[in-house]
Amino acid sequence: MTLSIRRGFRASVVAASLLFASTLSAQDGDPLAKLENNRYAFDLILDSAMAAGIPTGPLLSKAREGIAKKIDSRKIVEVVRKLFGELRIAHAALGGVGEQELSAAATLLEAGAKPSQLELFRPRQKGRSDLTAFIVWTDFLSRSIPNEEASSAIAKLWRDGADDEIFQSLWTNVKGDISQGLNPGTALQNRIRETPGRASPAPGKPPEGQENQSSR
Amino acid sequence: MTDSDLHPYVEWIAREARRPVVVDPAARERVMAAVRAEPLPRPQSTVWGRLLRPRAFTLSPVGGALLAAGLVGIGVLGGTLAINRDGQSTVGQPPVAVAPRLPVSHSTTDTVVRFVYLAPQADKVYLVGDFNGWDTTKTPLSRAGDGSWTVTIPLSAGRHVYGFVVDGSWAADPHAPRAPDDGFGHANSVKLVRRGSSL
Repeated sequence: MTLSIRRGFRASVVAASLLFASTLSAQDGDPLAKLENNRYAFDLILDSAMAAGIPTGPLLSKAREGIAKKIDSRKIVEVVRKLFGELRIAHAALGGVGEQELSAAATLLEAGAKPSQLELFRPRQKGRSDLTAFIVWTDFLSRSIPNEEASSAIAKLWRDGADDEIFQSLWTNVKGDISQGLNPGTALQNRIRETPGRASPAPGKPPEGQENQSSR
Repeated sequence: MTDSDLHPYVEWIAREARRPVVVDPAARERVMAAVRAEPLPRPQSTVWGRLLRPRAFTLSPVGGALLAAGLVGIGVLGGTLAINRDGQSTVGQPPVAVAPRLPVSHSTTDTVVRFVYLAPQADKVYLVGDFNGWDTTKTPLSRAGDGSWTVTIPLSAGRHVYGFVVDGSWAADPHAPRAPDDGFGHANSVKLVRRGSSL
């Protein structure tokens, strides 16, 4: 009887050790395990995103960013949940766009843009991406340019058919003016007046982005 | 009824029991013919028969525990490695592929992008972003002679969010568009990579 109890005890210890080792090994390959007690809440957000047709890539990346920045796991989940909400709003405003554009639009909303301001970009235009416009717009808001001014400037350029180079040039000039000490709003107003709305078309070639396309 | 009354009956029963039973030889033949007419049971094939034949085996308590623990371990590992949160199979990939949608591949369509950060006094500078899974030690920058730090990496086309870790502190790229601080206390930078160029 004593022998069998000893055997049972040893077997339990061995089994527990193997199980513990297996669990540790599994956690080593999963950086998100650092979310610890909040992992379940995070998984629920992922499940909700998948059910809503929202890409989970930006949410996973945001969680990994928080872990890299040594943010408390509860705060990480809170930020991820907020991002999920912004992705959903962006998805509703823009329709079926790619993960990159959706993520850029969500960041733009986080910076202070309004969902209704995104709807201008809903019609798809062949050969034209709104990524650069969103990135420049977000940067302007981060540099304390009022949203109404930034929004109207970006919208004007977009309606006029501006391409990536024009948005990039506007950003470079405005950033330079702000670093020279000019008021951010004034810098944008000055530069938008001298920025051509439409890229010069190549001879014999129709300008890009002028053909409507129903979906991307 | 007394014992003396029972005696003749007992004797009669014993006498009847001792009398040999006479069986009709034709009846024996009929029974044997019926038995021979029954189909013989089909023998199982040799391999499957051996495999499917039930058998008993002995297992010590330690052996049983090891077997159970091994099965649980295989289940945990298999479940973790085979399927990620997106429901995509990761079989054959290293177990760190938790976020497979992150752009970490170095395909031939990647664009080589150079990152520069000016920090003459720094001892270590790392590039950290969505392209390296936000790994704070994976992409170190090299010190250049003019006090700047540089690194050149291939990036897939698209929008990338990143920052620098300078001697343990996060810093944005002053030469790149900004993304707002969304609650982590550090603003990020954004790199838009197009085929052959970047913003």
